[in-house]
Amino acid sequence: MQRSRILGPIGIVWLILTLGVIAYATRLALLIAPMEATMGNVQRIFYYHVPTSMLSLLFPYVNFGASLCYLYWRRRDPLKALTSDAVAIASAEVTVVYASICLLTGMLWGRAAWGIWWTWDARLTSMLLLWLLYVSYLMLRKLSSTGQTHTLAAVLSVFAAIDVPIVYMSIQWWRTQHPAPVFGGGPDSGLDPSMRPAFGWNVLGWAMWGIFLLIFRYLLERRRQASEQDAALQAIEASLEIAK
Amino acid sequence: MEAHHLLWAYLAVWLIQGGYCVWIAWQWMHTPDCSGMESTDSRPIHEDS
Repeated sequence: MQRSRILGPIGIVWLILTLGVIAYATRLALLIAPMEATMGNVQRIFYYHVPTSMLSLLFPYVNFGASLCYLYWRRRDPLKALTSDAVAIASAEVTVVYASICLLTGMLWGRAAWGIWWTWDARLTSMLLLWLLYVSYLMLRKLSSTGQTHTLAAVLSVFAAIDVPIVYMSIQWWRTQHPAPVFGGGPDSGLDPSMRPAFGWNVLGWAMWGIFLLIFRYLLERRRQASEQDAALQAIEASLEIAK
Repeated sequence: MEAHHLLWAYLAVWLIQGGYCVWIAWQWMHTPDCSGMESTDSRPIHEDS
C-alpha cells in the first residue's frame, strides 16, 4: 500500500512529462524540421517510424531477460518468478505495439516513396517475423491453460529474441529495398544537423512512453496475479469449510 | 509525394498507442485490487513437472 502511494504520483508526473515531450517532439517533426528535398513532407514519417522501430528492437530484450529470470526462479523462488513473468508479458505486449507501428508507418512511407505497400526484402520480412513471434507469444499466453504455459512462453521468448539482431543487421548483410542505416551506414550516412533535434526528441518521447506503458502493464499483471491468488485462496478456504 | 500518408501514419501511431493505454486503464479499473496478498507467504506456481 505504501509503495502504491509513492508510485502513483511518480507515475502521473512521468506521464505528464512524457506527453509534454511527445507534443514538443511532434511539433518539431511536423513544423520545425526542414522539408526533405526528395520526398517532401512524407519524409516526416521518419520522426515516428525510426524511433518506434528502434524501440521495437529493445523491448524484446526486456522480455528475453524477464523470461530467463522466470525460467531460473520458477522452482527456486515462486514470488520472484511471478514478478519476472509479469515483466515478460508486459514487455511482449509493448513490443507488439511498437512493432505494429513500425510496420504500419513503414508501409505508409513505402507506399508514398516506392509506390508499393510491401516487398519481401530482408528487413521487412525479418521485422514481420519478429511481430509474428511476439503475437504468437501473446496468443500462447492467452489461449493455453496448461500448467506449462508460462514455461513454454518463456522458452518461445528466448528464441524470438534471436530475430532481433537479424532484423537490425539485415540491411547490412543483404541488399534490401529498405534504405541503408541512417546512423553508422557508411561515409554517406547520417542525419542532417537541422533534423537531429526532432529525431532526438521523438526518440526520447517514445522511449518515455514505452517505459510508462511497460510499468503500467506490469502493475496490471501484478494486480491480476494477486486477484487470482486471492480467488484460489478463497476456493481452498471454501472447500475446507465444506469438508468440516 | 502524397502527404496524406503522413497524416495516416501519425494518426495510426496515436490510435494504437492511445488505444493500448486505454485498454490497460480499462482492465485496471475492472481488476479487483488484492494488494494485501503481496505480503503473504510464497505460493508455488501450479505447474506440471
